[in-house]
Amino acid sequence: MFRKFLVLFVSIITFLACSSSEEITPTIIDGFDRNALLENIADNIIIPAYEDFSGKMNALKTAGDTFSTAPNQSNLEALRVSWFAAYKTWQHIEMFDIGKAEELQFKFYMNIYPVTVSDIEDNITNGSYDLNSVNNQDAQGFPALDYLLHGLADSDAAILEKFTIAEDNDNYKNYLIAILNQMNTLTTSVVSDFKAQRNAFVISTENTATSSVNKLINDYIFYYEKGLRANKFGIPAGVFSENALPEKVEGQYKNDVSKELALDALTAVQNLFEGRHYNAATTGVSFKDYLVKLNRTDIATSTSDQFDIAGSQVEKLDNSFAAQIDTDNTAMTMAYDELQKAVVLLKVDMLQAFNVSIDYVDADGD
Amino acid sequence: MKKVLLSIGCVVLLMACSNTESETEIIQQETVAPATYTFERDGTSSVSFGGQTTRIEMAGEFVSALKSTTESVASLNAKFAHTAGENNFSDADLNASSKSIRSKVAASTDFYASNTTDAAAIKADFDSWISAQVEDVFPKWDMYASEGNAGQIQEAGGGSVRYVSAKGIEYNQLINKGLISALMVDQILNNYLSPAVLDAADNVADNDADAVNEGKNYTTMEHKWDEAFGYLYGKEADITAPTLNNDSFLNKYLGRVEGDTDFAGIAEEIYNAFKLGRAAIVAKDYTTRALQAEILREKISEIIGMRAVYYLQQGKNNLPTDKGGAFHDLSEGIGFIYGLQFTRKPNATAAYFTKAEVDGFMTTLQSGNGFWDLTSETLDEMSATIAAKFNFTLAQAGS
Repeated sequence: MFRKFLVLFVSIITFLACSSSEEITPTIIDGFDRNALLENIADNIIIPAYEDFSGKMNALKTAGDTFSTAPNQSNLEALRVSWFAAYKTWQHIEMFDIGKAEELQFKFYMNIYPVTVSDIEDNITNGSYDLNSVNNQDAQGFPALDYLLHGLADSDAAILEKFTIAEDNDNYKNYLIAILNQMNTLTTSVVSDFKAQRNAFVISTENTATSSVNKLINDYIFYYEKGLRANKFGIPAGVFSENALPEKVEGQYKNDVSKELALDALTAVQNLFEGRHYNAATTGVSFKDYLVKLNRTDIATSTSDQFDIAGSQVEKLDNSFAAQIDTDNTAMTMAYDELQKAVVLLKVDMLQAFNVSIDYVDADGD
Repeated sequence: MKKVLLSIGCVVLLMACSNTESETEIIQQETVAPATYTFERDGTSSVSFGGQTTRIEMAGEFVSALKSTTESVASLNAKFAHTAGENNFSDADLNASSKSIRSKVAASTDFYASNTTDAAAIKADFDSWISAQVEDVFPKWDMYASEGNAGQIQEAGGGSVRYVSAKGIEYNQLINKGLISALMVDQILNNYLSPAVLDAADNVADNDADAVNEGKNYTTMEHKWDEAFGYLYGKEADITAPTLNNDSFLNKYLGRVEGDTDFAGIAEEIYNAFKLGRAAIVAKDYTTRALQAEILREKISEIIGMRAVYYLQQGKNNLPTDKGGAFHDLSEGIGFIYGLQFTRKPNATAAYFTKAEVDGFMTTLQSGNGFWDLTSETLDEMSATIAAKFNFTLAQAGS
């Protein structure tokens, strides 16, 4: 028995020895222009998206100021429209966790949901709070505005009362303004810093843990896996828990916007993969081109196709993911499953082709 | 390259040829490994480790209670050092049990039978952490923690709220992770796998004669080995196919280490060593039994060393931007570091780190304002010191 095993072992070794002579060297001769990739992403995607968001954030703050000065139905509605417009554009920039955005933990101050309502209400009641504290990351940003504009009470009239005749109506108005100021200040800082650092960003093309290109790729995949797949779909659908958690959808107080926000995010992810210019049909140098250059058209095509498949699965869902989960959570988990398939394509296949190391570990969750 | 492989092939062939002469002898000596941890005598299972399952369950209720502010020092101590018949647990069977957790903390024959001084000091450490949780942290449960002040601290990004001491330590984590080593690892490696226990009294003669314990289906030696097995697999639904992550202790963290690609395969190595060692006892093959015990000492110690380094590195990465997350990592890490004194180097009588060395780590981590004061340099240095004694690199354990 033992001898037979050894004979087999030797045969395998011999086989390996023979076949190894035909193998090509493992060093990838990578003729791809990473600099052109970064230029396209910086100049045609990140900066225009940042500028668009910056403008909408400004408009949102102005609408907040107007509402605070005159809290009435029409100003409330205008503020809600501005909130949603900015929130949609936010979906195009959350993935860029680089430079100042990373340093300031921009996304943690802009879009942590669900909010902790008791923290928001305590802050309002106390009238003093430190919005830069980690403890308040789930009490500000778009989700806190969602709560203030849609979730404070059951009717618009009752919501308006909080800002008008309620005893602490000044505290509500002050909190609204404080959140908007925080969001606007952070945005200004992130956007101006990225523009200032643009040249340094596009030339940082080496394959190291700290180069722009590696960090961008890692942030992109991390966002897709966590920010999009898990936060928008998996967590509310109960993929990671015993039961579904519909109260954890994005935009839960407005309620009927979770699908639209998720589709914006998915479009942004696909656009970056394909190098599509922000708000335009033109495409430039992309991750997809990089794969093609490496003779991995198979991954390039499969990934684009998978985004399309996931997108059409998401299209089938109710505008309100919370409603979808309550009526038929299977449709929600089916969308999640299609999104998950692209995680494998990006995180395993694409990264191996690029020879880029993953720089984050999955939290062990305890 | 091809030449090297060919010459390996030749050497292997030579070995195969020369082996033929001693083949019969080898086969006679070697115990055959069974497919699973299944052992029977007269058609009935001879495997038993109920006491270990009980202690894992008690420990589970105990560590959960450490986060319940309605508990007192007395009620927590009563869970830690249960007395039969007292209603300390939600499970009636646990209440009826005569087992206790505290009595088996730092209680192995090899390390503590003649070192009651250290054993008492270690038990006193656990007692002090329990009191500190109730007296220092519970009263500050609703306050925000800051340098030098106990309270709550939230992980970044709307993450979990952690409850920490003035030095940033979650005592419930320190106690939970500390118990993995002080209870499970110490009992397995330094007690039940030890010849001092396996071969005590007439164990060898009884095992050679298949003399089972009165009213039982196992020999004492078989049972001692099972008790070692039970501290790791006691909460598995099916011990012939362990799934891991079935408790909050060693079983869970073997699962975590197995999940790291740098360590994949360790779960199988450990399971294989347990079942081959047990089969060796049945076959009266004490050489094979001893070899498996040494494999288990190395591999189970590696779980503790690896997690210690892992959490120090995670803590380091989180410190600049996420104190809550970092303190949680470091609280788990300090528990695993405390546990290093219960590890066991293979073919040796000592742990990978002495109590004095571990006390040194504990002092460094808690000096001044504790976790609030820690630097990347300190954490890297400690990680490197720990990794250097094990068969893995800092980089492998850190991710």
